[in-house]
Amino acid sequence: MSQMITIQVNGESFTLPAGSSVSNLLASIGSEQESVATVVNDQIVRPDNRASFRLKKGDRVEILIFAGGG
Amino acid sequence: MDSLHIGSYTFSSRLILGTGKFSSSSVMLEAVKASGTQLVTVALRRFNREQPGDDLFTPLTSIPGITLMPNTSGASTAAEAVQAARIARELSGSPFIKVEIHPNPQHLMPDPIETYEASKILAKEGFLVMPYIPADPVLAKRLEEAGCVSVMPLGSAIGSGQGLATAEMLKIIIRESTIPVIVDAGLRSPSEAALAMEMGCDAVLVNSAVAVAGNPPVMAEAFAEAVAAGRKAFAAGIMEKSGIAVATSPLTSFLGTEA
Repeated sequence: MSQMITIQVNGESFTLPAGSSVSNLLASIGSEQESVATVVNDQIVRPDNRASFRLKKGDRVEILIFAGGG
Repeated sequence: MDSLHIGSYTFSSRLILGTGKFSSSSVMLEAVKASGTQLVTVALRRFNREQPGDDLFTPLTSIPGITLMPNTSGASTAAEAVQAARIARELSGSPFIKVEIHPNPQHLMPDPIETYEASKILAKEGFLVMPYIPADPVLAKRLEEAGCVSVMPLGSAIGSGQGLATAEMLKIIIRESTIPVIVDAGLRSPSEAALAMEMGCDAVLVNSAVAVAGNPPVMAEAFAEAVAAGRKAFAAGIMEKSGIAVATSPLTSFLGTEA
């Protein structure tokens, strides 16, 4: 069994296999179909880089969408 | 064609619509279509896996001719607003950003100092910066000099429906400004939007007045007509006020009067 790591996703703890990428994370939370922006430790991770961007234990990930606003 | 020019963009509609506070996304989308707007604001929010399908990017950008203007709502400092703007640009692909920094939820008045700092940085980064500001002519001029493509002074507090409480200050901003002046916030009814346009505003941004109306799509259409009428009246040249009556009918050569 692969080793698991815990990260923060939108302020909540989330556990996933070590070596997972941002793309893997999006797939596991079901947001891969949405238009989202991803930010890891305040650094924007562009769509092209999500598959190669590996997450580490303790990373803070923000997944953002556009919602209604004035 | 009397078009609105902001940065390198040209819009035939002078009504900008906010997308918050609608009862549902489908009602909001109907209102956007009915308004004929070409520029709509959106806000960044955390993805919620319990509520997938909340994302407005795809449905809004599927409407022909719509450009998104993300806002930085939620930011209470310049640094937070700059980060929000950079994230929003990644998502929207749009150069427009509405800089909106209001630290106090009780009155939602924009912080002029943080707004100025954020706008200056973002303008240098190539954003088309449209700051939401207090109706302050000095601040408006400083933001223009900092490279903003428009200023968006408030008519009254966000969502208050108190109309053009800042009218006299708005007139000064309009007179002094060489970039479009867009009244943002506080408008309650189409007549107020028409009045703002008659005063010489270049556009208005409306959200609550449409979103909480009994029939939002019809209200959106009413605002669009009022904005167009107000603009047409401004362009046509509105008569001066007079302290005394000025007759519209001849007062001489009538029945028994001597010419």
